[in-house]
Amino acid sequence: MPRIVKSTVINAPTDRVWNVLRDFNGHDRWHPAVATSAIERSQPSDKIGCVRRFKLADGGELREQLLALSDLEQSFSYCLLDTPIPLFNYVAHVRLLPVTDGDRTFWHWECRFTTRAGEEARLVDMVGEQIYQAGFDAVRKHLSEAA
Amino acid sequence: MARVYVSSVINGRSDRVWARVRDFNGLPNWHPAIGESRIEGGEPADKIGCVRDFRLRNGDRIREKLLGLSDYEMFCTYSILESPMGVENYVATLRLTPVTDGDSTFVEWTAEFDCAPDREAELIASIGGAVFQGGFDALKRAFGG
Repeated sequence: MPRIVKSTVINAPTDRVWNVLRDFNGHDRWHPAVATSAIERSQPSDKIGCVRRFKLADGGELREQLLALSDLEQSFSYCLLDTPIPLFNYVAHVRLLPVTDGDRTFWHWECRFTTRAGEEARLVDMVGEQIYQAGFDAVRKHLSEAA
Repeated sequence: MARVYVSSVINGRSDRVWARVRDFNGLPNWHPAIGESRIEGGEPADKIGCVRDFRLRNGDRIREKLLGLSDYEMFCTYSILESPMGVENYVATLRLTPVTDGDSTFVEWTAEFDCAPDREAELIASIGGAVFQGGFDALKRAFGG
């Protein structure tokens, strides 16, 4: 089962980074791959089990379900329900940890999934770079513009 | 129960940082507060349950027992058996996590312990400062930032 782990350090306190990330319906405001986001059935975006529907910048659509969210641990988990990409059994975890030395944030983003034979390397690279690493860079930019 | 949490980022790959800190008998090689260390009974320093007996540069003597060591997850957990610090049930963990965005390492050092209530703030400050952050500062110097 392929696993992706990406991590970075953001030069801002965890509360500021968490304030951006915790909105499960807010990723269209910072992630370049996401054009629009909506929560189905008008549920609150911090209700466990809610489903977000993304329109991607490339025109694709996907649905993801919130599995866990913790303000105490500053973490959340979600899974893919429908996707145009052959990512199956995809579960991802995001968590923030304080870097006390300098009041910064360590951001850890990982997932596991299954896919068709021969697709692993391409998808590991695509998700790791275009979703996770691009997300790190986008939040870094978003926070510096908001500052 | 008092808790200390200190974390930092070391400008070196996690396998290189781990190689420097994994030796339970190796504190004098990297931590400026530690003068000398030995493992009791001639046991290997990565045998779970081994005891290190070391001296701080100020002369204090501390005995600590290795409770857990993982090269895969890159953590080391230990307890204090004997020290002049006035702590009970002291368990600490040093943990390394790779930062994939650049070749650096996220390091965390946590401790939990019981002590007299009027000494808690002072102990949290000294353990978190001179011991944990002091160790991280030395690693940062060793790895160039």
